[in-house]
Amino acid sequence: MISKNITSNKEKLIKAFNNSSDFVAYEFKTRADIKILICFIEGFVNKDLFDRDILKPLILELDGQKEIKEVIFTPKIEEVDSIEQVKNEIIFGKIAIFIEGNTNCFVVELIKWDKRSIEEPNSEAVVRGPKEGFIEDIEVNKVLLRRKLRNNKLVFEDYRFGKQTNTKVSIAYIKGIVNEDVLQELKRRLEKIDIDAILESGYIEELIEDSPLSLIGTVSNAEKPDIIADKILEGRVAILVDGTPHVLTIPRIFVEGIMASEDYYLRPYYSTFLRLLRIIGLFAAVYLPGIFVALQLYHQEMIPTVLLINMAGAREGVPLPVTLEVLFMTIALELTKESGLRLPKNVGATVSIVGALILGQAAVEAGVVNAITIIVVSTSAIAEFVVPGLIQGIVVYRFVILLLGGLMGLYGVACGFIFITMELVSLDSFGVPFAWPIAPREWGGLKKDTLVRLPLWKNIFRPKAIEKRNIRRQISPWRK
Amino acid sequence: MKRKLICLALSFVLIFSLTACWNARELNTVGISLAMGLDIEGDKILVTFEIVNPSYTQKNHGGGDVGPVKYVQGIGNTIFEAFRDVSLKFDRRILISHNKLIILGEDFARRGLINQTDQLFRNRELRETAYMLIAKGAKAYEVMGINNGLEDLPGNYILNLIRNKRDNPKTVDVRIMNYLRDYYLEGIHTVAGVVEMIDRTQIDETGKDMGTKDKELTVIGAAVFKDDILVAYISGNDTKALNYIKNDVKKGLITFPTPKDIVRNRKSNLEDKHLSSVLTIKVKTKNDVEIKDEGISLKSKVKIRGTIGEVIGDIDVYNEEEFKLLEEACSNTVKEAIKHTVEKVQREIGLDIFGFGLIFQRKYPDEFKKIKDNWDEIFSHADYQIEVETNLIRTGLIDTPINVD
Repeated sequence: MISKNITSNKEKLIKAFNNSSDFVAYEFKTRADIKILICFIEGFVNKDLFDRDILKPLILELDGQKEIKEVIFTPKIEEVDSIEQVKNEIIFGKIAIFIEGNTNCFVVELIKWDKRSIEEPNSEAVVRGPKEGFIEDIEVNKVLLRRKLRNNKLVFEDYRFGKQTNTKVSIAYIKGIVNEDVLQELKRRLEKIDIDAILESGYIEELIEDSPLSLIGTVSNAEKPDIIADKILEGRVAILVDGTPHVLTIPRIFVEGIMASEDYYLRPYYSTFLRLLRIIGLFAAVYLPGIFVALQLYHQEMIPTVLLINMAGAREGVPLPVTLEVLFMTIALELTKESGLRLPKNVGATVSIVGALILGQAAVEAGVVNAITIIVVSTSAIAEFVVPGLIQGIVVYRFVILLLGGLMGLYGVACGFIFITMELVSLDSFGVPFAWPIAPREWGGLKKDTLVRLPLWKNIFRPKAIEKRNIRRQISPWRK
Repeated sequence: MKRKLICLALSFVLIFSLTACWNARELNTVGISLAMGLDIEGDKILVTFEIVNPSYTQKNHGGGDVGPVKYVQGIGNTIFEAFRDVSLKFDRRILISHNKLIILGEDFARRGLINQTDQLFRNRELRETAYMLIAKGAKAYEVMGINNGLEDLPGNYILNLIRNKRDNPKTVDVRIMNYLRDYYLEGIHTVAGVVEMIDRTQIDETGKDMGTKDKELTVIGAAVFKDDILVAYISGNDTKALNYIKNDVKKGLITFPTPKDIVRNRKSNLEDKHLSSVLTIKVKTKNDVEIKDEGISLKSKVKIRGTIGEVIGDIDVYNEEEFKLLEEACSNTVKEAIKHTVEKVQREIGLDIFGFGLIFQRKYPDEFKKIKDNWDEIFSHADYQIEVETNLIRTGLIDTPINVD
């Protein structure tokens, strides 16, 4: 496929790259009068090393007798024999070297481009625990993961997706721990992907998940190597996507939402307390506004007298019906959240001031809303952030429950609860029940590492739902 | 998929159409009633509601000087008619699900309750746990406005007086459901709480207004019903004895003459009788009825566990013998007091308010069927025996009484 004539190769490549301005095709002669063509994409190549290690030895030393590998000292040199392949390699930043009269092309990797340094991710800050997070470069991410799991059984398998983007995607698992069924299923689904672009791991997530229409996703993601390593160690598979620090793991179970990496670094008692707190937070975030409205409208007898009188006092002179009042406040809250996120940082202070006015004393004094509504709405807003993985579901469910509570009282809230529960227990993630270990119930899972976090030496086995064969984590220190 | 969608749509239709909590009421369209008074006015029933004015809670936010409650009245031939009459004079619907107090005027109670109060139990809103009180010698609405406590709401003031029974058993806390239950039981007569207006000496900070009279409320005593008609009142001490027999005493005081009353120290001015007292922690009573040849005999066995509240007299609480004397004296006093009350009720009222009939019924069901119509007669002539056992478990902070050096 590769012509012996390098000028024709050059023309072919320039045509293939459509005269793109960042494509460099450099033709020159060595001292021994051999014609050489070097192609690469500008900006992908470390220029200092290119001059020193490729250009200089080629020009000075390459003569008819010496092999190219005797001249260029780099381990990453490959021979490629089709112009199509050369094209692909160039796209990924490699340097293609054509030698006149040779039907092979040598591809050298000398990549250097600017990348973000490794920082603590904003969304997953911890007090105790590693502060490093993934970055946008998949090779760096692989290294970060490998550094956590220095183990020859950690396997990366590379894929390329996106007809236009050619994005590198890599799945990672530990051979012997991973659930093979899940792995095969994942590979089967990945093979079906035929899309023009993958810009973020969210694309992959949507293309492989079990229930694409459910409010809560069945693929989880994290930005930190220690979290991903822990999940791989439980038998899961991680999916790294080039260009994003968010790494996916499958299968996902619901209770991952109430866990945090820090749980395992702190005292078990405190971690257990935090878990309970997150469960309370989860329920408060979804149900509090709905229950508040239902009780106030339909079930006044269930509210303690003094509280009811205070609530009635606060309601005096508020023009809107309570359901609408809570609805508007919830929408105002979502607006504040969203604008706080989107606004440029230097305008951010304005939002916090204005937001405090809308959701605060000023609104009460203007008589638009009552103080108790604000307390309820803000409590549920604060509560949702203790379970960051589930926020997307919580926000929608909260509105549903609020409307049901306003229309039908506690009966409506109960109906909503049943519907939500039905949805959660009907979900599956790669063959693993989403609501495990709550439904199907498994006491071992529930009491060891779900509602309570037992001390590490008590946690002998991996979660049984994910990996069924190799489940022993450790031999209890007390048995030695 | 289609079937699923149809199922989903159907279930939503069913949710909305089959059932739901209905009757939504915004809080600013209701008036919360805390206490209800029932009276007879002429031939009609007069109902008085104590409605909370919720704005009073907002004083800090410029709610102005509003009183915490308003009183509204309605009149009608039946209670329900009177309830509805209120709506002609008051702008908001009355929410009675927080009504925890039903005060009956004496006239109303003397006319009999069962023929008048069906609505109170049929109404789905009304709390059956509401306390029932009889306004002794007064109309219900006369006692309702009085508040000598720190509570803002007069209703809560009376409510807390009743709840104070845990510290002083000289009153009863009868809820309307208890009342109705006892009414239908054979072998017991119902009692209800009493609220009475009394004069209060006004004490001013400056001391100027000393002596002028003001009103306050007390819930001492109890009202006795024959069937559903108020027939008599019993005093505070008798109510206390009643609570002892009914095994319904938590913390109460027992005051009794000090057994070894010699004061070595002559500084004391008290010459004749010195008293000590015991605070009960737990009182357990077992009652029994027996048929004997000479008639029916009633028995009570009271076990008191308490702490020493005060000792005036020559008692060393670390001396076991003297300690025993103290316990014995306490037992004797309780024994005398309860016996006195039972005999007084037998003699003066002649109604079994203690519930001995219930025990009799359980123990001798066949005999009870024969005699149930004149059980009260039999009760009035029954012999009563009582045993009291006191067990003092704490002595307080000092050992010898302070009047002994």
